[in-house]
Amino acid sequence: MTELVGRSVARVDGRAKVTGAARYAADQPVPGALQAFFVLSTVARGEVVSIDASAALAHPGVVAVLTHRDLPRLTVPAFPYFRRFLPMQDTAVHHVGQPVAIVLATTVEQAQEGAALVAVGYRAAQPRVVIEDAREPSYLPPPFRNLPNEIRRGDAETALAGAEVRLEARYSSATRHHNPIEPHTTTAQWDGDRLTLHESAQGVLATRTVVSAAFGLPPEAVRVVAPYLGGGFGAKGPVWPHTVLTAAAARVLRRPVRLVLSRAQMYTLTGHRAEYRQHLRIGATRTGELTSIIETSTAQLSATEESVFNRSDSTVELYACPNLHVRYEGVRLDVATSSYMRSPETTSHFGLETALDELSWQLGIDPLELRRRNHAEFDQETGERLTGKHLLDCYALAADRFGWAARLPRTGATKDGDEYVGWGMATETHTFNAMPSTASVTVGVDGKALAQLATQDIGTGTYTVISQIVADALGVPITDVQAQIGDSALPPAGMSVASATIASISGSVDQAARAARAAVVDLAVADPSSALFGAAASEVETSNGHLVHVRDRQRRDTYRAVVGRAGRPVQRTATVLNKAGHSYGVVFVEARVHARLGSVRVTRVVTAHDIGRVMNRRTARGQVLGGVTWGIGHALMEHTVFDRNIGRVVNPNLSTYLVPVNADAPPVVETLFVDKPDPASTAMGARGFGETPITGVPAAIGNAIYHATGRRVRDLPITQDKLL
Amino acid sequence: MKPFGYTAVRDTGEAVRLASRTPDAAFVAGGTDLLNLMKDGVARPGHLIDVNGLDLAEVTETPAGLRIGGLARMRAVAGHAAVRRGWPVLAEALLASASPQVRNMASIGGNLLQRTRCGYFRDTGSPCNKRVPGSGCPAVEGWNRGHAVLGGSDACIATHPSDLAVALLALDAVVRVRGTAGERKVPIGDFYLRPGATPHVENVLRPAELITAVEVPRSATARRSRYLKLRDRATFEFAVVSVAAAVDLRGRRVRDVRLAFGGIGTTPWRSPEAEAALRGNDLTAESVARAGRALVRDAEPRHDNEFKVELVQRALAELLEELR
Ligand SMILES: Cc1cc2nc3c(=O)[nH]c(=O)nc-3n(C[C@H](O)[C@H](O)[C@H](O)COP(=O)(O)OP(=O)(O)OC[C@H]3O[C@@H](n4cnc5c(N)ncnc54)[C@H](O)[C@@H]3O)c2cc1C
Ligand code: SF4
Repeated sequence: MTELVGRSVARVDGRAKVTGAARYAADQPVPGALQAFFVLSTVARGEVVSIDASAALAHPGVVAVLTHRDLPRLTVPAFPYFRRFLPMQDTAVHHVGQPVAIVLATTVEQAQEGAALVAVGYRAAQPRVVIEDAREPSYLPPPFRNLPNEIRRGDAETALAGAEVRLEARYSSATRHHNPIEPHTTTAQWDGDRLTLHESAQGVLATRTVVSAAFGLPPEAVRVVAPYLGGGFGAKGPVWPHTVLTAAAARVLRRPVRLVLSRAQMYTLTGHRAEYRQHLRIGATRTGELTSIIETSTAQLSATEESVFNRSDSTVELYACPNLHVRYEGVRLDVATSSYMRSPETTSHFGLETALDELSWQLGIDPLELRRRNHAEFDQETGERLTGKHLLDCYALAADRFGWAARLPRTGATKDGDEYVGWGMATETHTFNAMPSTASVTVGVDGKALAQLATQDIGTGTYTVISQIVADALGVPITDVQAQIGDSALPPAGMSVASATIASISGSVDQAARAARAAVVDLAVADPSSALFGAAASEVETSNGHLVHVRDRQRRDTYRAVVGRAGRPVQRTATVLNKAGHSYGVVFVEARVHARLGSVRVTRVVTAHDIGRVMNRRTARGQVLGGVTWGIGHALMEHTVFDRNIGRVVNPNLSTYLVPVNADAPPVVETLFVDKPDPASTAMGARGFGETPITGVPAAIGNAIYHATGRRVRDLPITQDKLL
Repeated sequence: MKPFGYTAVRDTGEAVRLASRTPDAAFVAGGTDLLNLMKDGVARPGHLIDVNGLDLAEVTETPAGLRIGGLARMRAVAGHAAVRRGWPVLAEALLASASPQVRNMASIGGNLLQRTRCGYFRDTGSPCNKRVPGSGCPAVEGWNRGHAVLGGSDACIATHPSDLAVALLALDAVVRVRGTAGERKVPIGDFYLRPGATPHVENVLRPAELITAVEVPRSATARRSRYLKLRDRATFEFAVVSVAAAVDLRGRRVRDVRLAFGGIGTTPWRSPEAEAALRGNDLTAESVARAGRALVRDAEPRHDNEFKVELVQRALAELLEELR
């Protein structure tokens, strides 16, 4: 049987999703649940001085209005809860859109109207919500999760001063919001001291950790269920206040409670990519070898949390450069806490890859050639040789397919009708994480296989890849495999964040399935009623649900018959911890800029990626298509706007926070893969990938615009007014 | 959402009578704007009068021109063969609006009465003179990239978002409305009001008046008319600036011209000055530039929308070049 792993296998959950059979968190029927709606602070800084709920309580259907006075005092761990404060524990207001009361009613509409009828009085102070208006200068915050906020290598200042060529530039990007299509939702149901949460979560176990700690319960007392997610993009990785507050409301009222955040509420309650500025100084030789990189970035921090989430791993590690100084600074603002957003490293990578393009023009060296000359063979921090890195292959593959060799090294050189045509490129890279994962695989008496582990499918294809791995390892059709995930009661496995899912879980699923296969083969060869009785286990092949003797193919049995005769299922588990690492790639972009109107279209994209073994071509390509589209949004339109006077988000909805639509997606996207298993990976040679294929897109677009027009835009998004 | 009553009516007279008798009533057609506003708490009607059952959805070509029922759907008008032939700017403006799904639902009357997309207006947590008279206008000193550079006041600088209205303005259309006192006709140029000190009053409709039809005269300019809409993404987005141009050319000589603009004015914006700069002259780069300058002579850009002054002139030049 041909292996399924590595092929283009259609999503096993696709039909359930498009027919509506898939039940998302808020679709789970919970009889008797009250519907909750938050009252959010309308001011950004100050204090709640009064709450009058009488009109709300008089509204039909409203059962209760809870405030800080009604909720128990709760304690939340710093990670993965990112705010360092829990709303509704006191009267302090740290940002606009902070919950100050919860209205509970029979229907959502009643709860929402009730919330509109709660009158809240504030003592408010003038907020500062954008970096430009910060009260205090930026500073170096303390290390975040043991990661230093200042990194030095060699002597960067001296090397820069002595460099043959120098480049200095400032880049910035606006605040962005994740905007998964499924809003965050929590349904909390208590049974004594046991809690069940139906949650839209990228980490069922992480959610359990935070929520159980909040109520002083052992982790096992809390069960978190999240079978499907309508996207997460990092917004559902951390645990946010609404989850804990909904559970608290259910505990106070002794009734199940359901909360679904509105789109607008997601702009202040579930994290965002922080507003960001970057100052880069680069030294190089005349032939383009980097000799020094000095980068200081400034990110928006909140009043309660000083973690920096937009780290510059690519500045530190992507290119060979002996001297480096990177500082992650921040400024405190009266804005909600930011967090990780798909490919956090994109933010700084835009500056790095734009700067290299600028350097290439300054030196008259082709931008691809400049990157080749600085290719890192060794880990820049440890000096170890980077085995299994095939970035140079990516360059060759994609450049060839794109036709990069025909690039004219002049700006404004190509015009097609009313548009200037430009080509740009950028290297892509992102770190991926790996978390310990246990998987259990059971072969039932019906011969069907069930894989179980507490990971999640956030839309990326986890169900499908698990099914492929099990089908291959057992030798059964994929239709005989079921994956059960998204439930904290299952064997503990990795979160679906930081490109970690496949890298974390694949090894344990494969090993558990192989162990189950071996156990079934052992049963067969020891079973006098099997045609395989007496054979050596090593002589038995499994394929398409059959167990077959390799030399005497008439001697055969089936999973169903063997396990059926044994009378009880065969179950095996395995635990694997993979190593974190990097994935690599390159993106080439053709962009067209209207000569008179400045509007930009991305018309052709070619990518090549080195992600170790490609587990599923189709879902991997899906990540690239999504990444390219996301990168177009990042480069050309996405932008959360804060009003600097009143501190509110002005565009908290999908009609004014623009994301790309189909017509913005390039007609041609070619996605190539090196597809060489990484020997260092315990995930069947696979590496994490979800975040890599965005990272270079914004810079590649900006570089193509420069090639087209000679205009360099260093502040994202590049809206058409910047190109007039 | 505020609880509301609901009546579906079958007859125009009944619709108007019911509206005049019921406090807090609103007509609902496609609901594509009104329901959003209700969910966001921006509109809080106590009673909805569903007018979708009224016999007002037809699009007919008459000797005088075009008659579009107030309940005709955007899709039906955009796809109508006579419209595409005789009034192409209308079809183009409609096709450049919203999405196919919205256009299937949305009516012509509802389109003309849609509310501004100003973010403060649609956020009940913000002050806004249009939503709560006297509460202030944060846009004047705040985020105003999408706002008007013409026709504003200190009280409000919001743009009217309808693309259709811009096209109708270039076509000298007339809006037919029916109230308790019978029917009347309002030229589209008189239909919308500038904000002045009362930005919550956006048009000349009286309480309980229903838009029954829009009439568009036949003309040589209408036949040679086009719409150009510039926006921050390729589709499904309101105009940053838009231009509707209708010209009657004899050779290069402009015999007659209508120019209307979206995204730059507090109402759909007609510029007689820009038209005058072209009428009777050859259509040249110079005359077009003169028209553009005349258009923006009184522009009052704010912090974030200065670029519109330049962009709208370029958009005008671009469109007139295509019409030449
Ligand atoms: C996502 C999105 C994108 C959009 N993009 C665009 C765009 O690019 N360009 C554009 O022009 N528009 C755009 N629109 C607006 C859309 O065109 C309007 O929502 C639609 O035309 C309204 O028509 P409706 O029938 O749904 O009106 P409704 O929502 O039913 O009503 C709107 C208002 O009109 C009143 N009303 C309705 N019919 C009548 C009548 N016959 N007489 C008197 N009063 C009446 C209602 O009481 C209400 O106040 C967009 C809308 C959405 C949701
Ligand atoms: S511009 Fe008009 S609609 Fe917008 S906030 Fe000001 S008053 Fe309200």
